[in-house]
Amino acid sequence: MSKSRLIKLGLIILVFALVPAILVGFDKGYYYQIATIAAIFMLLAASLHLVTGVAGLLHLGHAALYGVGAYVAAILGAEYGIGFTIGVPLAGLSAAAIAFLVALPTMRLMSIYFAVATLGIGQMLFLIFQNWVGLTKGPNGVMLFSGLNLFGFEIDTDLGIYYVVASIVALSILVLNRLSHSYYGNALRSLREDDQCASAMGINVTVMKIQAFVISSFFAGIAGALWAYTTGYISPNDFQFSQSILILTMVVVGGLGSLPGALIGALLLIILPEMLRSVGDIRNIIVGVMMFGAILFLPKGLFGEVSALNFARRMLGQGWAAKKGEKGIGWK
Amino acid sequence: MTAILELDGLTRTFGGLRAVDNVTTQVNQGELFGLIGPNGAGKTTLFNLISGFTPPSSGEVRFKGERITGLSAHKIAHKGMSRTFQNLRVFPNMTVFDNISVGALGMIGVGPFSSLWGGKARAREISERSWEMLEKVGLADHADDLAANLSYGKRKYLEIARALAMKPDLLILDEPAAGMNDSETTELAEFITDLNKSGLTVMLVEHDMGLVMGICERLVVLASGQKIADDVPKVVRQDPGVLEAYLGGDD
Amino acid sequence: MFDPYILQQLAIGLSLGMIYALMAIGFTLIFGVLNVVNFAHGEVYTIGAFAGLMAISAFGPPLLVVLFIALAAGAFAGFSLERLAFSPFRRFSDEASLKSRAMREATLMSSLAMSIIAREAMEMIFGSQFQSVDLAYLINKPINIGPITIVNGDLIIFAVTLIMLGGLQWLLKKSPIGLSIRAVSNNALGAKYCGINTDRTIIITFVIGSGMGALAGILVGLYYGAIFPAMGFAPGIKAFVAMVMGGLSSIPGAVISAIILGLSESLSTSFMSSVWSDMVAYGFLLLTLIFFPQGLFGARRDRV
Repeated sequence: MSKSRLIKLGLIILVFALVPAILVGFDKGYYYQIATIAAIFMLLAASLHLVTGVAGLLHLGHAALYGVGAYVAAILGAEYGIGFTIGVPLAGLSAAAIAFLVALPTMRLMSIYFAVATLGIGQMLFLIFQNWVGLTKGPNGVMLFSGLNLFGFEIDTDLGIYYVVASIVALSILVLNRLSHSYYGNALRSLREDDQCASAMGINVTVMKIQAFVISSFFAGIAGALWAYTTGYISPNDFQFSQSILILTMVVVGGLGSLPGALIGALLLIILPEMLRSVGDIRNIIVGVMMFGAILFLPKGLFGEVSALNFARRMLGQGWAAKKGEKGIGWK
Repeated sequence: MTAILELDGLTRTFGGLRAVDNVTTQVNQGELFGLIGPNGAGKTTLFNLISGFTPPSSGEVRFKGERITGLSAHKIAHKGMSRTFQNLRVFPNMTVFDNISVGALGMIGVGPFSSLWGGKARAREISERSWEMLEKVGLADHADDLAANLSYGKRKYLEIARALAMKPDLLILDEPAAGMNDSETTELAEFITDLNKSGLTVMLVEHDMGLVMGICERLVVLASGQKIADDVPKVVRQDPGVLEAYLGGDD
Repeated sequence: MFDPYILQQLAIGLSLGMIYALMAIGFTLIFGVLNVVNFAHGEVYTIGAFAGLMAISAFGPPLLVVLFIALAAGAFAGFSLERLAFSPFRRFSDEASLKSRAMREATLMSSLAMSIIAREAMEMIFGSQFQSVDLAYLINKPINIGPITIVNGDLIIFAVTLIMLGGLQWLLKKSPIGLSIRAVSNNALGAKYCGINTDRTIIITFVIGSGMGALAGILVGLYYGAIFPAMGFAPGIKAFVAMVMGGLSSIPGAVISAIILGLSESLSTSFMSSVWSDMVAYGFLLLTLIFFPQGLFGARRDRV
C-alpha cells in the first residue's frame, strides 16, 4: 500500500475508530462534549483558513457568521419544527447569503480596512443576536429541545452524535482541503501575495475574494448549526468578538495558509485549556499568550504553509508524481 | 502588416501634469517593438493605460481591432495581452511552479466547483502548460523552491515565464533588463529575440537604450509624455530630438 | 425653542464625543508614525480607569492627582506595549519592509494578543463585575442651566479635553519632540536618515497617545461610576471609527468625527432603544469605509 493511502487510512481510523474507542472507554459525557467541540472548532478554523490563510483576507468577524448558522438552525428547529437534515444545510446557506451581501461592498477594501469592516459587521450581527429579542430571544438565548434527527433516524446517544458531527466535519474539511490544495487554491494564494499582479494574470480579483469569503462562511454556518444541535442551547456570548479571535488564533498558531496547521491549532486551543481547567478559567489568557508567542517566535506557525503544501502533494498524494522528467508537481 | 495594438490620441493627466500627451502609434502583428524614453517620460503611465491599470483621460486603445479602453486589467488579460512588472512582482511565498501555474490558470480558468469534481482535464492542462514554460526558461530544477529564494535574475525569468503561461498574443515587458549585468542582458536579449521569432509579438518598455537598440525592429521614443520619434532603430539613433531628450536637461 | 431633552442629550453627546476624541488622538498619532492599528488602545483606557480607582481606594488623593496617576499609568502602559507588541516586528531597513503588509498584520495581531492578555489579567485580578467607586469621586453632581441639567463631569471632561488638545497642538507644532513625530509620520526612513531617533520618537508617540487614552478611561469611569475590565472594547472601536472617518492621519479630522459620533450616538437614543446605539458607530464605520474611503474630510491615504 502506498504511503498516501496509509496516511489517509490512518486518519480515518483515528477519527472513526480510535477516538470513539477512547470516548467509549472513558464513557463520560464530558469527553464526548470536548470531542464534538474540538470537531466544530476544527471546521471553523479550517474555514477561516481559506479566507485568511489562503486568500490573505484578515477576517475578524468569523464568529458572527458562525452565529448566523447557529441561530438559523436553532430558530428553525425550535419555532418551525425544521429538523437537523434540512436545518444544517439551510444554516450554511444563510450564513453564505449574509456573507455575500456583506462582501459585495467591502471586498474592494484593502487589507486592514477589510479587517476593520469585518470587525464592524461582526459586531453588528452580535448586536442583533443580543438585542433583537423578537427574533433571537436576546441575551436569554435560544433553547433547542428537538433532538438530532437525521433522515428520520433519531440519534440520541453521545456516540451517535459524535459520529454525525465527525462525519459532517470530516466531509466539510475534505471539501476545504480540495479547495485550498488545488489550482483554485493557487489562484487564491496569488491574491494574497499581490492582487494587482493577479489581475494582470486574468484573475477577477473581486469575484475570487467574494467566492472565498462566501464558501468560508457557508462552512462557518454549518459549524454553527452543529453547535446549536450538540449543545441544545445558544446565546449571543457564544459568538462574540473574542470567539472570532479564538478562531483566528487557531489559524495563526497552526500556521497561516496551512490547513493541517489550522486543524492542529484548533485541537491545541480547545484541549489545552481543558487540561488546565484545574488552574482556573484561564482559557482566554492562554489564547492571548499563544497568539503572541506564535507571532513572535513561530511566524510560520506549528505546521507552516510550505510544509503543509508538500504534505498534501506528497503524503496525501494530491499532486502528480514529483520526479523530474516525469512531468509534474502540480495539483491533481 | 496588421496592427495588433493601436493607440489613438492617448492622454493621461495627473492634476496639471500631462504624463502621457496625445500618443498615437501602433504595434504590428509579429513585431518586436520598443518603447523607450528617459526617466519620467511617461513610459510606465502609458504602459498602465494600455494594460488597464490606469484609465486614460482621453483617447483610446484598440487591441486586435477591438476597443479595450476602460476595461479592467483581468479582462484585458483575457483578450490576450500579458505583461510583466518593472519592479519584479513574483508571488514570493509560493513555489516557482505555483507562480507559473497562476499565469496558466487565469486563462484556462478554475472555479470552486471544478476543483471539487470534473476539473481533472483542466488541472492537467494547467500543469502541463506550467511545466512547459518552466522548461522554456530553464527553471525546471527550481520548480519546488520558493520564489523568494531565487536569485534576482532567475526571478526575472520566472516573471516572464508566468506571463508566457498565459499564452498571450502580445507580451509587454516592463524594463526587463533593469538590474542585470551585461552578460545577463545579452542572454535576455537572445531569449526575447527567440520568443519573437517563434511568432509572439513583443513590446519592450525600456529606459536603457542598449537592449532595445540591439534587438527591436521599431522604436517609439517618449519624452515628457509626448512621442518624439517612431522609426527603425538606425533612424531613431540619429534623431536630434532623441539625442537631446536623452542627453539634454530633461532627465 | 429646543426640546430640553434634546439639549440634554446634546450635552451628554458632547462629553461622549470628547472622550472618543481623547482616545482617537492616540490611535491617530500611532497610525501616523507607524501606519499600523493598535488594537490594545482600548485596554490602555481600562488600565487608566483601574489605576485611578486603585489610587482612590489606596489613599484618596484629590481628583487632579487621580487624573495624573491615570495619565502616568497609561503612559507606562503605552511604553510597555510598544516595546512588547510593536518593536519586535519593526525593521527600519528599507521602504518595502516599512510599509509591508506582513509587518502591519503582525503588529495588528500582536497588539490584539496583548489586549486579550491585559484584559484577562485584569479580570483575574479584579473580577469581571463593576468595581465600586467612592461616591465622593464621582463626577455626576447635577448643575442646572435653565431648563436643562448637566453634571459637573460634563464640564470637567470638556475642560480636560480642551487642555489636552491645546497641549498636543503646542507639542506637535512648537516642540522638538513634536517636530520629530511629524517628521517620522511624514517619512520614517527619511527622518531616520536625517538623524532623528525614530525608535525614541515612536515610543514617545505611544506614551503620549496612551496617556490620553488612559485619561479618557478614568474620566468615563468616574462619570458613570462603572469601571470593569471589558470597558475599553466599545470606546476603542468607536475611537477607531473616528480615526477612519477623520481620514486616518488627521488629528482635527479625528476630533471632529469623534464629536459627531458622540452626538449622533446620544441623539439616537431619543428615537430608538439605547441598546442599539452602538449600531450607529458601526454604521458610520461601514458607510465611511465604503463611500468615503478617503475619510470624511478628504485626507490622503495610501494603499494599505
